[in-house]
Amino acid sequence: MITFKLNGKTVQGEEGQYILQVAEKYGVDIPTLCNHKALEPAGMCRVCTVEVFDGRRTRFVTSCNYPIWEGMEVNTETELVREGRKLIVELLLARCPEVPAIQKLAKKYGITEIRFHKEADTCILCGLCTRVCEKMGARAISLTGRGVDMKVDTPYHLNTDACFGCGACASLCPTGHITLEKINREFTTRTLQLIPSEYDMGLRGRKPIYVPYAQAVPNIPAIDRDVCMHFKAGGCQICKEFCGVNAIDHSMQDEFIELEVGAIVLAPGFKPYDPSRLDFYGYHRLPNVVTSMQYERILSASGPFGGHLVRPSDHKEPKKIAWFQCVGSRDQNRCKNSYCSSVCCMYAIKEAVISKEHAGKDLDCAIFFMDMRTPGKEFEKFYNDARDRHGVRFIRSRVHTVDPAPDGHSLAIRYVMENGETVSEIFDMIVLSIGLETPPEMIELAGRLGVELTPGNFCRTDAFHPVNTSKEGVFVCGAFQGPKDIPQSVIDASAAAAAAQELLAGARGTMARTKEVVPEINIAGERPRIGVFVCKCGTNIAGVVDVPAVRDYAAGLPYVEYAADNLYTCSQDTQETMTQIIREKNLNRVVVAACTPKTHEPLFQETLINAGLNKYLFEMTNIRNQDSWVHKNNPRLATDKAKDLVRMAVAKVALMEPLKEIELPVNHTTMVIGGGISGMAAAKSFALQGFETHLVEKSDRLGGQALNLYHTATGEGVQEKLCEMIKSVESDKKIHLHLNTTITAVEGFVGNFKTTLSSNGNQEVLEHGAVILATGAAPYVPDEYAYGKDPRILTSLELDKKFIANDPMICNLKSAIFIQCVGSREPQRPYCSRVCCTHSIENALELKKRNPDMNIYILYRDIRTYGEKEYLYKQAREKGVIFIRYSVDNKPRLEIRKEGLAVTVTDHVLGRPIEILTDLVTLATAVVPYKDEALANFFKVSMNDDGFFIEKHAKLGPSEFSTDGVYLCGMAHYPKPIDESIAQAKAAVSRAVTLLSKASIFSSGTIAQVDPTKCAGCGVCVAICPFSAPSIIDKGRFAGKAEINPVLCKGCGLCEASCRSGAIHLKGFDTDQIFSQIFELNAAM
Amino acid sequence: MAENEPKILSFLCNWCSYGAADLAGVSRMEYPPNIRVIRIPCTGRMNPKFILAGLRQGADAVWVSG
Amino acid sequence: MKNLLEHTGIEPGRLHFSWVSSAESTKFVEVVKKITEEVKALNSNKAYAKTKPKVD
Repeated sequence: MITFKLNGKTVQGEEGQYILQVAEKYGVDIPTLCNHKALEPAGMCRVCTVEVFDGRRTRFVTSCNYPIWEGMEVNTETELVREGRKLIVELLLARCPEVPAIQKLAKKYGITEIRFHKEADTCILCGLCTRVCEKMGARAISLTGRGVDMKVDTPYHLNTDACFGCGACASLCPTGHITLEKINREFTTRTLQLIPSEYDMGLRGRKPIYVPYAQAVPNIPAIDRDVCMHFKAGGCQICKEFCGVNAIDHSMQDEFIELEVGAIVLAPGFKPYDPSRLDFYGYHRLPNVVTSMQYERILSASGPFGGHLVRPSDHKEPKKIAWFQCVGSRDQNRCKNSYCSSVCCMYAIKEAVISKEHAGKDLDCAIFFMDMRTPGKEFEKFYNDARDRHGVRFIRSRVHTVDPAPDGHSLAIRYVMENGETVSEIFDMIVLSIGLETPPEMIELAGRLGVELTPGNFCRTDAFHPVNTSKEGVFVCGAFQGPKDIPQSVIDASAAAAAAQELLAGARGTMARTKEVVPEINIAGERPRIGVFVCKCGTNIAGVVDVPAVRDYAAGLPYVEYAADNLYTCSQDTQETMTQIIREKNLNRVVVAACTPKTHEPLFQETLINAGLNKYLFEMTNIRNQDSWVHKNNPRLATDKAKDLVRMAVAKVALMEPLKEIELPVNHTTMVIGGGISGMAAAKSFALQGFETHLVEKSDRLGGQALNLYHTATGEGVQEKLCEMIKSVESDKKIHLHLNTTITAVEGFVGNFKTTLSSNGNQEVLEHGAVILATGAAPYVPDEYAYGKDPRILTSLELDKKFIANDPMICNLKSAIFIQCVGSREPQRPYCSRVCCTHSIENALELKKRNPDMNIYILYRDIRTYGEKEYLYKQAREKGVIFIRYSVDNKPRLEIRKEGLAVTVTDHVLGRPIEILTDLVTLATAVVPYKDEALANFFKVSMNDDGFFIEKHAKLGPSEFSTDGVYLCGMAHYPKPIDESIAQAKAAVSRAVTLLSKASIFSSGTIAQVDPTKCAGCGVCVAICPFSAPSIIDKGRFAGKAEINPVLCKGCGLCEASCRSGAIHLKGFDTDQIFSQIFELNAAM
Repeated sequence: MAENEPKILSFLCNWCSYGAADLAGVSRMEYPPNIRVIRIPCTGRMNPKFILAGLRQGADAVWVSG
Repeated sequence: MKNLLEHTGIEPGRLHFSWVSSAESTKFVEVVKKITEEVKALNSNKAYAKTKPKVD
């Protein structure tokens, strides 16, 4: 350690350090242009000149490369130093009068005029570029020439392949002399370009060391070896010098890890289609033609334009945006993807609506489409709203020409309207709604695994085993099974987990390890003894906030027994030290001032537990994410804020009390309500996983609506498989069948339900831990199209029955008509029934198979054969099935005549009504839910306007309810085909098993509790709670008062805020605790 | 505290605005250092008394964000 | 609530409500900036604040 004087103050530095480094440490500002932490100093710019006194005389030295020595005296701001620096800056300014960095320095030193000859250079010959180039290991540029001819250049002034185009020189250049253009023009033979950010879809660059995106797990940066200069040229490693914890090791190698597993789930996802293969769209050639994925990033607040809706070429706000549907989907000719990608219609509508919300009503959004496919739950409503409320234009046409508009930014397009008219329009931006594809590496992996693929290169599955691949023990979920949206992917994912568990149920828990429990210290009656740990987080906090000052401040606060700062409070060794300190100092409350409790609270709570303290005797306050990181230019106020936050946290923690997490046993018997395909699949999955299951069906037989179905979309016979399924359910010893049974009462809650069943007047009470509602739906009975007035007018299911019965009537037909959307997509039933398009087309093909000469017409509004069901649509057209589109305000008319059924429909191409005489009309009727209010009330679940049950979360919780312990599957959720019903049944089981695999469940400690002596029994809390946690006690001492079920309470505090008597307390966020924080707001008060 | 550096007592919902505040930090955005955050489990937890108490304690403003 | 405050002599600009989702950090920052500016314009809050007791 070397001690010397810096501006009269005694300071210390390490042997070998330079003056500038020590000055920096002590916060003494010395200007410099040519210094960089990672490079050896060179003393080139001379701006950092200071005065050194060695006891006899004073000298001027450049502080960046002058080593310190014992006893020296350094002055950085004497009159002479300032004068000298001023002269140096003036000379630099004369050389480079236009460089902002030097202009700024000149201003600082009060230089108003230049006394020397002005030049027009931009380079100050600081040598940062050449030094960093050498450090990189490239050595492509150096200072060439002598005297006034000296400049930065490559050997012989030739572009060289020694330059990798890494751009390090440009990024360090203080004057802007070296730019990326200059590197491309004069230095390198390669093409230098930004490393495209994968997350921002190439709209932005990223660094060679990067975190893929802000929410990445694990949130740890990785080095991209393909672009890292160390791996290319052998040098650099600057990152190592900056990393405070020595975490970077360039010698790490890829590891091969061998695992023994019992099952594999394939979830590789999809690759967005690359539209540069379709050159007529001008993607890549025209900057304002973007893909939908890029557009998502443009809309995102964390995206390349900060969420501001602008187009890439000139960053202007667009006034008109067009979406082109089916780019890379439903296109056999140009891209070989003849399937429908399922998700693009919906995301295009969503993007259009969000754009309008961003940019205002005047933004013109036009979606060019073939069929609008919105067959998902609540999707049709969104589509209608987009058109009617938001004014999104929907144009049924495929655009054939895209040209750059005369302004060079906008795009001129031409398309043909349905009436044959060609229209030209100019848009500011075009979004290509690109489809989903299986990535080539996955096709290859499937080959290696021996997993069969479909014609569209998706994983082959069958309707009754929707997540099983052709290889036993290998399961699939998500878009690799077929293009699908988030809810369907989430359902699949849970289903695949259930399928794997069916196989591995016996091994459950065998590899689990139990943790040693540290006995909890009783702190009742003790006065608070608070420990405060202030984290530096390396320099993340300490670089801005004065951590020692905060620590000392904390030490002086009431009840604080101990205060310390740590370099990294979350590190393993600090955790151990903390445990020791808590024990040694007898602390009974802990405050950690560090990062965010959202990520680190559980970690520190674990430390408390290890030290024998109840984990709720803890408070964390956020001085990183919400302080040092966001106020880096205001260290003083950031420190003040940190002190305030610590004081508030200390005040709160003093009032914290140990909280109990109530333990409740879980009953491992389950119940499934509904004996259709979904219910049976769920019961079977439970049984295979070893759970006793009660299957309740209100009718006298199993099978539900599937009893009426002939074929699946992939042509499998339903009846045969259904029979097998019924048999296997009936013969399963773990499944207890309750036919002709209804539910008359339900008591209890998650893990402990008591349900009363009623069958032929007999009552039976069953106890179970979880329940799945699989109550299904029924076909709509139409009152339109003369249904019921003629035996030749059938519903889809009635036609299926005729197929099953092999009714000779259907073979003797000359023609048949299918009318779609009967009872669906109507004002009284606005949703799309999802299954009917595929069902009718499949039946049309079946009729064609039996009688190829038959004339078949399908009258539709949009054909919604999503995913690979599109092949059926294509096949039907090839086989000569005639598709005629009608509009909802001009529906087909049907007349019963002796010679046949006369259907009149207005053809969309001809624009005039045509009459078709036919022998058979099939009505594709809606799927209608049962709307069982009683059942919904029993299990405290809710239904939407259409009567379908409302799941916990439309995207992330599609197979469960907000009420814990109650799960959902099948058509009670939304209309769906067999494969999706079975997948959801397994998904619901999977969700339930996360509960049932535990012996008991624990409530959270931070829950609401009622003080019955204050409760007035008004019932507001019961009404307001979204989780049905409060109820009124019906007997005993506190009858009529409210109580809160700790297991159901999520700790939101709604009830506490609503309680008029102040009887409810939310533990951990109690009123007095929040008040204590408020009272500590201003220390001076 | 200087006259022009007001203190704004902020009640942020753990799941929404508190998360946004964390993300703002992760994204290294900058904003004025005048807010003092109290984390609440949900804006449903808010009680008008907290607002009054804050103002009474000398907060220059109260901000509730869900 | 704002009306009540105004009635008791507190400027409505001293109470703010907003809704920011956990992904909207940009919006969060905008709101903080906006509120801080508005509050700075109001000067410090004297209406309710307890005055510091004088201790000799």
